[in-house]
Amino acid sequence: MSFRRKLLTVRPVVWLASIKITLVCLLLLFFLTLGGTIAQVSDGLYVAQQLYFESFFFLLFGFLPFPGAQLVMWVLFVNLVCVALVRFTFQWRQAGIMIIHSGLLLFLVSGYVTMHSTTESQVTLAEGQASNVSLAYHDWEIALWEDIPQKEASTRERNIVSLDPLTMTNGRSYPVNEFQMGLTLKKYYKNCQITKRSGAVMEFEQLELSPEAEKNSPCAVLSYEAQGQKTADIYLHGDLDVARTIDLGEKKINVLLRLKRYPLPFIIKLKDFKKEEHPGTTTPRSFESLVEVIENGAGREKLIQMNEPLRFNEFTLYQASFTEGSRGRETSTFAVVKNSGRVLPYISTFVTFFGLMVHFGMAAVRTKRRKHV
Amino acid sequence: MFKKISALFMLGVLSLGWVLTSSANVMCPLDNLKPKQVRSLDALKSVAVLNQGRIKPFETFAKTFLLQLSGRDHYKKQSALEWMAKFLFAPRSTYNDKVFLVNHPEILEALKVKPVKNRKYSYNQLNAGYEKLEELARVISQIDDKKQSVVDKEILRVFSNVVLYSRLSGAFTFALAHPDFTLNSPETVKALGLPEGQTEFSYYDILNKSHVLAKLAHERSKLKDVAFSPLQKDTANLLSAMSFWEQHYAQCPFGLIPSLSVEDEQWMSPMDTILIGFQVPEYQEEIKHLRDAAVAYWNGEQLAFNAALRLYNESTVKRISAKERKAVSKIPMELFYNRFNGLFWAGMFYSLGLLVFLLSLFSEKPWMYRVMTVLTVIGFAAHLAALALRVIIMSRPPVSNLFETFVFVGAFCVFMGLILERINRSWIGLIVANVCGFIMLIIAGKFSNDGDTMQMLIAVLNSNFWLSTHVIAITIGYAGCCVAGIMGHIYVLQALSQPKNQKRLDNTYQNMLGVLGFGLMMSFLGTALGGVWADQSWGRFWGWDPKENGALMIVLWSAIVFHAKIAKVINPLGVAVGCILTLMVVMWAWFGVNLLSIGLHSYGFASGIAGSLILYVIAEIIFISVTVILLGRKGIKM
Repeated sequence: MSFRRKLLTVRPVVWLASIKITLVCLLLLFFLTLGGTIAQVSDGLYVAQQLYFESFFFLLFGFLPFPGAQLVMWVLFVNLVCVALVRFTFQWRQAGIMIIHSGLLLFLVSGYVTMHSTTESQVTLAEGQASNVSLAYHDWEIALWEDIPQKEASTRERNIVSLDPLTMTNGRSYPVNEFQMGLTLKKYYKNCQITKRSGAVMEFEQLELSPEAEKNSPCAVLSYEAQGQKTADIYLHGDLDVARTIDLGEKKINVLLRLKRYPLPFIIKLKDFKKEEHPGTTTPRSFESLVEVIENGAGREKLIQMNEPLRFNEFTLYQASFTEGSRGRETSTFAVVKNSGRVLPYISTFVTFFGLMVHFGMAAVRTKRRKHV
Repeated sequence: MFKKISALFMLGVLSLGWVLTSSANVMCPLDNLKPKQVRSLDALKSVAVLNQGRIKPFETFAKTFLLQLSGRDHYKKQSALEWMAKFLFAPRSTYNDKVFLVNHPEILEALKVKPVKNRKYSYNQLNAGYEKLEELARVISQIDDKKQSVVDKEILRVFSNVVLYSRLSGAFTFALAHPDFTLNSPETVKALGLPEGQTEFSYYDILNKSHVLAKLAHERSKLKDVAFSPLQKDTANLLSAMSFWEQHYAQCPFGLIPSLSVEDEQWMSPMDTILIGFQVPEYQEEIKHLRDAAVAYWNGEQLAFNAALRLYNESTVKRISAKERKAVSKIPMELFYNRFNGLFWAGMFYSLGLLVFLLSLFSEKPWMYRVMTVLTVIGFAAHLAALALRVIIMSRPPVSNLFETFVFVGAFCVFMGLILERINRSWIGLIVANVCGFIMLIIAGKFSNDGDTMQMLIAVLNSNFWLSTHVIAITIGYAGCCVAGIMGHIYVLQALSQPKNQKRLDNTYQNMLGVLGFGLMMSFLGTALGGVWADQSWGRFWGWDPKENGALMIVLWSAIVFHAKIAKVINPLGVAVGCILTLMVVMWAWFGVNLLSIGLHSYGFASGIAGSLILYVIAEIIFISVTVILLGRKGIKM
């Protein structure tokens, strides 16, 4: 193929296809994996994952600049593509190697897709309770909605505006057009505690991030402006689940700092939860939840158990955990995963393993033949 | 002739009558602390016990309990079964037995007990410091798991063992005479309908007469402000003793008697059964048999002991659920597994094989190869048989806990070694088989010391296609990489001993590469299947969990070795060293990560294991450095 021959003259492409680059990248990945494992002991999974695996660069031991796994995998991706362009001979002899490396390319692609298109959240229901939203594990939002009087609550739809505090710059005013107002984030701590409180006014003290990401409770100080007038500050804390109300004259707006809500394309209702223990122990043998999935008014029942999740389009709901409240009322927690690229790792696995079998199978046959000569 | 037969017949009837009536009346003498014991405990071996969620034979329960306390499955010359029988039927006679293993001398000092070298202490010694022990345990249990030190964990462990010992020791006290039920007034004895001439009775004896006692109590309550007669005083004493016993000996953690309600799946101790339903005919009959067995044990009556337990078994097996009966039906097989001790013998044969090999290094004789082959094959057969028995007994694939992974990987390594030997006939396969088999079984032994190796699985490990395939694939991957690692050692040693024997070195090298390739392939498959299982069960293919990372590191490292070879960055010696390092990575992934006490696979910290792992790593580094330097001098470079 003349295109390939042309490629072979492009020096950078040939250089990028070097096996030495592969070797260095694999070594880096090896040590990153080791470091990222040990770091979890002190920093927790979330932080270790962000630092070692999801970043492009980070400071190892706090001062040494080191490439993160994302960068290494990008380099590997480019390296693999160049290898495919330049080194694949498309001869039977090399069949195994080509299949293996195509599979690995697919793995890198699925890793990228998964990282950017997966949302993990959870929903906890008590027996008899239903919900159409799931909660994030440790992503927070500032939610605003109009305060509707009790008697109209069931007939009017609630329009909820959600702002991500991590994307907001302190001091800048963000317009909330739905309610004709602007919101300014004055202060935001990812983990903090209330040191003083008098009514709605609070003082916050920033805390160190907990290695267990779910244990962090943030706080925010906001100010709002409506119809040109700037008014008092609003103090919000993640642990407080009663919303603050802003009086804008013709309407009242509720503001709350809470875990991010994600809409589900259905309503899920927990009908019954059952837990079995190994007799005479407290070790759980099995958990199962009988739920009803309601879509457009029509419901169907499904049993969600360990290893048997509920699948609905790109959503999957897993039995994650449970609590036993007082008076025997049990709550069941489901892990909700929205992942459109779910099938990619399966294909990559199959392809790569097939390639490994072909390659080592052929190598074994070749060695045997050589022995008989 | 006829006279003789009829005389014998009369004798038989009389002795039978004597046995039947005597077992109803003979009590256990109080002042005799030592039971006469029966010679054979076979009848007791197979009694079913529900412990840690699994129905197991009494013999296994005894071993597990003793292992849990002392780290050994026997006490001095007694087997676990013999000691357990003494412990249950005559608890006080074991209070001075040094069965508690306490690993840190500081704990003993805190309890004001003098630490001894073999670290074993008796119940009496530890009980003397019970208050302090309880206080310490209470404080420590408030601390978060991950912040507890090794000594903290040991205190908790010892405390829970002492509590368990104390509670279990009361399991059969209902059957034995006790001062609380000593009746010195013959009037009382007669009023209660108990055998005259006796003063010492057990809780059980009084229980049987509880209707009479209730009547006497009722009569007594009608008397007011009158001097109580001995009968009335005894009545009051008995009532309060019975009530005290019902509180004190209840909640005994001994799953002996199956519950009558079949969905309940709970098995109870004798006292708890009495409290729930002594009037229920099945329970009453079974309690009686258990009591007869205890008494027969004290009096050294073998026949009565066997008969009582046989009747007890018949009664319980008749009424348990189908699922429980299935588990009980596996008991004879488990007893056979215990007696067969296949893994011990496999280890023995592997070590003998290694011995023969070492001999051959001094003076090679033709018979040595054949003997080594035979020893390896016999060892492997015992090893496989033990594995197969485990699968049948537990009805699940043989890789459910850390102990089992070592047994399985060991077996697969031996299998690979035997195949290698078949292909090459150059001793390498045999060496690999025996070294791996022996070492894996020793390590497995270290992981079996906290009790029953046949454990029930937690919910998330419910048998599932992906889980089973994942675990089997990854353990085969471990086996492949371990064999490659051993072959790396062999290559290096062969290069040192005969550097010019290129043919032999080439042969070893080619085999080593093939095995590493196999290891890489299976480790990759195991890791990926782990991702598939995780995706099916928790919704994410990969979570950077320590165990996942460990498996990934094995795959990455073997890939690195291959790519370094292809890039001509390393020579065959370099590949061999790479394989030795692969072995280290496997150990890290296998149980090094578990020691970190984090992540989904954390099984908790065991200081002995961490220490051994570190020693191993240091030894390997020394080995590699020394041999590489020596080989460098001979011109063989990495």
